This record gives sequence, structure tokens and C-alpha cells, in this order.
Amino acid sequence: MALAATSVKKTMPHTLFHTALYASLALCVLGLLWRSSAWFRVRVGPDARAVTLSQRLGALLRGTATALFGARVLHILGACFLDVLLLRRLFAREKPRWLGHLLILAGFTLLLLMHAFEALVTVKLFPGYESTLAPYLFLRNLFGAMVVAGIALLYFERWRRRTGLVSVRRPMAAAFAVLLGFVLATGYLLEAHKIASPQAFYRMAKRYSGTTDPGELMPLRAVWASEFGVAFDDLKEPFASNVMERGRQMHDADCAGCHAKPASAFVSYPVSRLLAPVTALLDKGRADIWLLYLHVFACFLGLATLPFTRFFHAVAVPISLLVNASAPNRAFSAAGRASRRALALDACLRCGICDAHCSVAPLARHLGNPYLLPSHKLVATGALANGRLLRSGRESDGFRVAEGAFLCTDCGRCTNDCPAGLDLEDLWQAGRGDLAAAGLPAPAQWVRALPALAWAEALEAAAGQHTATDPDASCAPLSADRRSFSRCVQCQTCTNVCPVVAQSIAADHRVDLTPQKVMNLLRLGLRDLTLGSRMVWDCATCYQCQENCPEGLRVTDIMCELRALAAHRLGAVRSWKAPS
Amino acid sequence: MTGERRNSFDVAVIGAGMAGMAAALFAAQRGLSCIQVGSGGGVLFASGLLDLLAVHPAAEGRQWQSPFAALAALAREQPDHPLARVDPASIRTAFETFVTALGEAGLAYAPLDERNRKVLTSIGTLKTTFGVPLSMVAGANALDALDAPNTPNTPPRCLLVDFRGLREFSARQIATTLADRWPGLCHGRIEFPGFEDVPELYAAHLARALETGETRDRTIALIRPMLGDAQLVGLPTVLGLGRCREVHAAFEAGLGVPVFEIPTMPTSVPGLRLLGALETVMSARGVRRRRLASVRALAFDANTGTATLDLDGVPGGERVSARAVVLATGRFSGRGLTADRGGVRESILGLPVHQPASREAWHQRDFLDPSGHAINRAGLRTDDAWRPLDMSGKPAWPRLFAVGSILADQDWMRSKCGSGLAIATAWAAMQQLADQLHGNTG
Repeated sequence: MALAATSVKKTMPHTLFHTALYASLALCVLGLLWRSSAWFRVRVGPDARAVTLSQRLGALLRGTATALFGARVLHILGACFLDVLLLRRLFAREKPRWLGHLLILAGFTLLLLMHAFEALVTVKLFPGYESTLAPYLFLRNLFGAMVVAGIALLYFERWRRRTGLVSVRRPMAAAFAVLLGFVLATGYLLEAHKIASPQAFYRMAKRYSGTTDPGELMPLRAVWASEFGVAFDDLKEPFASNVMERGRQMHDADCAGCHAKPASAFVSYPVSRLLAPVTALLDKGRADIWLLYLHVFACFLGLATLPFTRFFHAVAVPISLLVNASAPNRAFSAAGRASRRALALDACLRCGICDAHCSVAPLARHLGNPYLLPSHKLVATGALANGRLLRSGRESDGFRVAEGAFLCTDCGRCTNDCPAGLDLEDLWQAGRGDLAAAGLPAPAQWVRALPALAWAEALEAAAGQHTATDPDASCAPLSADRRSFSRCVQCQTCTNVCPVVAQSIAADHRVDLTPQKVMNLLRLGLRDLTLGSRMVWDCATCYQCQENCPEGLRVTDIMCELRALAAHRLGAVRSWKAPS
Repeated sequence: MTGERRNSFDVAVIGAGMAGMAAALFAAQRGLSCIQVGSGGGVLFASGLLDLLAVHPAAEGRQWQSPFAALAALAREQPDHPLARVDPASIRTAFETFVTALGEAGLAYAPLDERNRKVLTSIGTLKTTFGVPLSMVAGANALDALDAPNTPNTPPRCLLVDFRGLREFSARQIATTLADRWPGLCHGRIEFPGFEDVPELYAAHLARALETGETRDRTIALIRPMLGDAQLVGLPTVLGLGRCREVHAAFEAGLGVPVFEIPTMPTSVPGLRLLGALETVMSARGVRRRRLASVRALAFDANTGTATLDLDGVPGGERVSARAVVLATGRFSGRGLTADRGGVRESILGLPVHQPASREAWHQRDFLDPSGHAINRAGLRTDDAWRPLDMSGKPAWPRLFAVGSILADQDWMRSKCGSGLAIATAWAAMQQLADQLHGNTG
């Protein structure tokens, strides 16, 4: 009861309101519990599979205890203020987005406290509080406008910074944004309607003046028509000054205690002017009642569905940020790390900042494989962890995800730029472990399973059969073009300066070819023989060979290209066995 | 100014072979700001030995004890030869300057004197040269005794050591080839420590490995029992890369006798050492290098004479301007000259190339004809100030200079004067260039 605002109490049957409230609250709590339980159930990475549920819960308890009573409690409080409330990480990276987010966060929170919880919060804190008094009229409009402006700014930023990259799907995000907009719109409309409504005026007049007689109330009506925006269809300005004078006295006696002039409601008031012509019609249709129902039930719907939409990040991101603050240098136990990865899957906002800064984004474009991009990779990592990715018939998805995972250069920009502070590097590493366990290890691993000659033979055997298009010169511009290696004089400088050959001492991981032999095989038209060679796959890409080549050959670039070509062509002829 | 990107220079040197390096070094020594464009790959083919002039006339294959006597003969008989157009005192200064700079960068040379030296090669022949790295000079000293006509002394007993798996160097082959001239020469083979299982060795990897004390000590310990009564030890050029002086000294101390390196076949450690030292020198003297770049276009302003160079191979491309340009692009292998069916062209500006009248006249009938081939004397002709000539016989541009092997009227391979040509013409041209720049700026 205490929660319901006065106007709700008057309009809505208590049982209906409370049933709906507690039902949606229960759904929300159950949803939150279910969603957050995933942080202890979902296992990303081979090391996470070795950790039990009780170990993970133990890590949670220990972590919480250390956070609350440990030396870092001030640090965590600081993070609470700077990272969670003021969105410091986003501020440091993208200021317009930060502003949009902060507007939504602040506007929404303040509306919640001042308006939705008015009986619980505002009335207690401000004894004279009435929702129709200044400055609350203005503030309510302001907070709503902040949310609207924030949403608009975020969408504008998303449009302005569009990268041409495929955005990751954001299920329910738009629906939830529409719902939020609907709540705000019905709120503004309800307020606007009540400002303009003669029906509401008479209801109040009956209550506080004891009469509804239009003639008797004439002076008060004149004041409310000219200064409070009520749309009486039987009155016309201007009013005689003595009428106004009398009206003001009546207003001061009965109304002024609760009503300020509504012009400060800078959204609702102009809307009420627009509604004025149809106010009579709306009054007749009891718009005050159904707008309220729509407003309140939309809020309940939002509450109930929040855990199941992307807006769950509003819960997951603060937790993620606080968890970061709780451990110096991100030092976590294996159990803590496992939970943290699962949390990261939920805390990703899908904001796409990582995609925009990703080092291999050009490659994602070129290959048409979005799984190179962090936000897609995060979704795929989650899907792989819960078994959705490799359901039968989706091997090709697995290959594409593996391609994305292993073309990642681990440059660390995504982790550095993540506004939620997610340790994406750790997630990628874990995901690669899961891929390897699923029979999709890094190309460098499966290529090494066979000697170069065997790969060349496999390519030869498959030449007639498989139809996979051989990458043409545009895909392998160097190794397919004689001009890039025909100048090689076999002077051996590349081998002389090669640290990989120099360190290739032990028999079990010795390179099979030297760089100049790779160049020679290209000269001889035997490119297939190089594709599976240890030299190509062990190359450290230090560029010594290329920098020192007397003939200016792009030796390292050719090595890299051969590796990419091998991953593509050898991948097509290798047999993939689904994990049992 | 270090680290800051600048785009206007006093001098742009195109080419980073021996001549380009020398030109850039001398420009920097004179306080001129300098940018150098091109890969140092040519230097990798060097042996570390700095020839001045060993053979004259080439057709007779006559070797000279004194390079300066040879230069005097050259000046009398082939006054058009670029080396003959530089005065001997300047050549001496140029060599001293060049060698001193290399020494500062860790690649020490034996003091230069008036004479050519004989140096053992990796196939057992003797090569006549002028500047000898300190790590090789003990061999040259031993050969002095061998070569001196009336010496009663027998040449010192010498142990040559090679490494199993290092295919480019065979101690036995050298000893066999020289057996009748050098009776006290014996040979031995060791496993290179730490590389016992590796079938094929590369000299640069061994050189780098010897820069660590442990490998060095183990190698010395393997050689010591083989010494016998040897007064001298010869090794392939593997005694370190950047720290060759330290490694060489450690071997002499450890073995108790003089130790010398025998230059291995190019491309190998001597070239890498020389390139490393030259790059250190360039960097220390503030020369800006664009080592993976090439010149796409070179244009001169007709009024000011200032050059604009558009560079490829620099991310995003680069445009620099220079008050003077030195062309040190070499001949065919350096791609300063391009040959096709129609004749020989200069690659960047299309300058007229002095060349045989027709393709038939490029070569003698006998490929191994000792007098060489006309095409090997093709190149750019210049005025007295080393400025290449245009069709009318006038300098093509007032501040365009050419140095090194791109110059016409010389056959450096047969005269054994490659480094001499590079260093001497770079010095002389830089003198003219500096005079011009100072003259023009007052």
C-alpha cells in the first residue's frame, strides 16, 4: 500500500494493483535469480570445467567477505561512485555515449525515487510534498526528458558511429526501449490530460470546495482556465478583473496548498495545450483511468521482463565493475575466474565499442566473418559454452567461430576499451580452449598434426573432388605473383637472420624448411608444399628476413599469406571430427 | 630533432649500398642534414674487406703492392676512370674517416698504411685488399711472411678450424689448396656447442651464439686440445655480430695465440656486421633512413634547384624535399641501371647512360675475357663536380650528383676497387656538394 502513489490509490482497485505489483516483482526477482545463477552454472574454458559449483559459490562468499571487510573496501566504494554511478570508463572513451547513458541512468533513477516511490521516499523526505507542487512538476518532467534525450542520443551516436560492420543481434533491446518510451509517453499524456481536464477540476472542487456548481465556481474556474490550463469549453477569456480577484481568493483558500501553476511542467503543459480541443472527448472516455492503467501496467511489464532482456546489463555491469575493483590486478582464483567469465557474458552491453576498435575488423569485413569481432565472438563463446553453437548441422558455424577466434591477434584493445571493464582477453583464451576441446583447435595445432608433404598430397588428392574455390590472386596477392619472389637469389640472408631457424635446435621441433627454401619452392611453382611446413607455421613474424633481404622481397608478408592460405585450403581438406 | 618527422633536408642520398652509405656518412660529417632512401641489402654482399685498387690494368690482371702506386698508374693510363679523378690525399682521408666511423660503431679495422694486404679467402685463394677488419688482420700478417720474397722465416704454423654442418666453409679445402705454399697449415673440425643435433648450420646463428659467454668458452675449450704447436688459429667469420671485437679478444685470450677470421662467402656475417655498423653510424649521426622505401618520382624545381622526392614503401607514402641529391643507386643489381632490348636506361630520371652503341657490342666473344666487357663500363658520365650529364653534355641539374658504381668508365669488379670507388667518389662529390650549398646560401 505504501508504495502506491496517491493518484493510483484513488483510481485503481487495491487488490488489482497489488496483485499486479507483486506478481511482476516476483517475476523480476525469480528472473534475476535465474539469470544470476548462470554466473555459477555456465562454464567457459577448460579450466572452468574443473571447478565445481560449490567451489564457485565458495569463491563468491570469500570474495564478498574480503570485499566488505578487507583492505579494499574504500577502493570498492570509490568504484561504486566513479565507475557505477558516474560511468567513468565510458567517460574516458566516448563522451557523447557517456552523456546519453548518464542521462538515462540519472533520469530513470530519479523518476523511480521521486515519482514511482513517492509515498515511500519523497513524502517522507519532504513533508510538504505534493506531486502537483513546484518544483516537483518541473522535476518530473525534467527527469522524463532526461531519459528521452539519453535514448535519443544513444541511438544518434550508434547511427553516427556506424562502422559498416554487422552489429550483433540485441534481442528485446528495441522492444524494451519501446516499452520504456511507452511508460514515459503515457506518463506525460496522463499529466497533460489531467492539467486540461475539467472533469478532474470538478472532482477536486467537490472535494475541497464542497460544490460542483459551475456558476458558483465561476471565479475559480476563470483563474484555472487562464492560469492553470483547464480547458473549460464554456468559458472564454478575457475575464473581468473582479472575477479574477475573487477567483484568486477562492484558489488561495482551497487549492493553493496543493497546486502550483503547471507551466513548469515543460513537457506535459505544452502537450495539454495540444490536447485542449479534445479534452472533452477524453474526459468522456475516462482517459485519466485508462492512461493510468497503461502507465502502471507498462511499468509492471518492464519490471517483470527486465531480467530477460539486454537491460539485465543494468544489474550485471555494476556487479562486474565492483568485482573488478575488489581484486587488485585482476587476480582471481580459478573458481572466481570461471564465474567472472559467465558474468561477462551477461554484462556485455553490445555497445560495439570493441568492434569499432578491433584490430582485425578489416579482416572481418574482407572475410565476411563477423565472428572476428569481439561482440559477436562473445555471443558465440557463450553459445559454445552452453552447447547451442555445435548442435548437429552447425559445423560450419563452428568453423567460422574458430576462424574468428584464431585470427584474433590478442592485441587487447577490446579489453582496454570495454566500458563494462570486462576481461575479454581472458574470455577469448577460454573460448579458444573450448574450441580446441570441441575438435576445433587453432590452425597452427591441426596443421602440425601432419608433415608438409602429407598436406601437399592431401591437397593433390582432393584437387579433383572438393569444389571449395581456390583463393585467386586477389586473396593471395604475393604468393600467386611471380614478381614477388622471382628476384630471390637464394643468398640465404633471410635464413641467416631468422631467429626461428637459429633456435630450431631440438630435433622434435626443428623447422623443416628455411625461409630461403620456402622462397625457392615458390620459384619452382610448388606452393602447396610450403603450406603445411613448420617454417611457415613457426614464423615469428619478426620481419628480420624482410628487412634484410638484399632483393627487397617481402619474405615475412609472404609467410603470413601462406599461413592464411594454408588455414583456408588445408582446412577444406582436413577431416573434422565432432567431439563425442 | 631526433624522432621528429621532418621533410626537408640538405641532402637526399638515393641508395644504401657502400657508396650511398659513404655519401650519407660524409654528408652528416659535414653537418648537412641527410635522408637516405633504399635498402642496405647491397652491403650484405660485402666481405668486410675494403678494396681500394688492387688490379691495374684489368686486362693484364696485374696486382699492386701499393694502391697509391696503382692509382698513379691509373691516372696516367685511364684518366677518365672515376678513381683517377679523385686526388690520392682525399682518398686517404675518405678511407680514414670511413674506417674510423666503423670503429666507433664496434667494427674495428686494422690501421691503414700505404700498402695492400693479402687475405685468405674461404676457398683457399688469396685476395688483395686495402682495409682489413681487425679480426682478420692476423691472417694478413701471417701471409706477409709467406709472401715476402727473401725471408728466411718459414710462415707460422697455423690451425684452421671449421664446424660440422657449416657448409659454406671448409678448413680442409683451404689447407689443401694452400698446402704447397704454406706447409705449416693444418686443419680441424669441431661440433659447434649446443648445435650438435642440427644438420645444417648458418654462420650468423653461430656468430650470435658466440656472443654468449658460455658458448664461447665451450668452443674455445674444444679448439684448445687441437692447437698442438700452432702459432695462429684461423676460423670462419663467426666471432660475433655486433660484439665482434669482444668475441675476438676472448678467443685470442682463451687460445693464447693470435686468432683471425677468414671471410665467408657472401651473404654472411661480414655483410651483416658491416650493415649493422653502418646503420649504427647513420643513426648516431642523425641520418634519416628510409630503408624499405624506394623513390617513385624525383623532380627538381627549375628555379631553385630544390628536389622533391616521392617515396613508396612508407606507410601512406612520403614526400621530402632536398637541396641536393646524390644518386648512389648502383648498376644493374642495385637497379640504378635498367637494361632491356633497346639499351640501358638510368632508372629514376632516365639520365643518358654512357654505353656501347649496340647490344652486339655489350660483350666480348669470350665471356671470361680478362679485359672485361664494354657493358661493365657503362654508366653515368659526370662533369668535374660529379654531376651527371644530360644529352647536351651539361650537368642535368645543378645539384644532382652521382657516386659509386653507377659511374661510367670503370669495371670495379675486375679492378678490385669497389669500396675504393664508392668511398672516394662519395667523398669527392660531397666536397663539391657542400661547396655548392655553401656558395648558394652565402
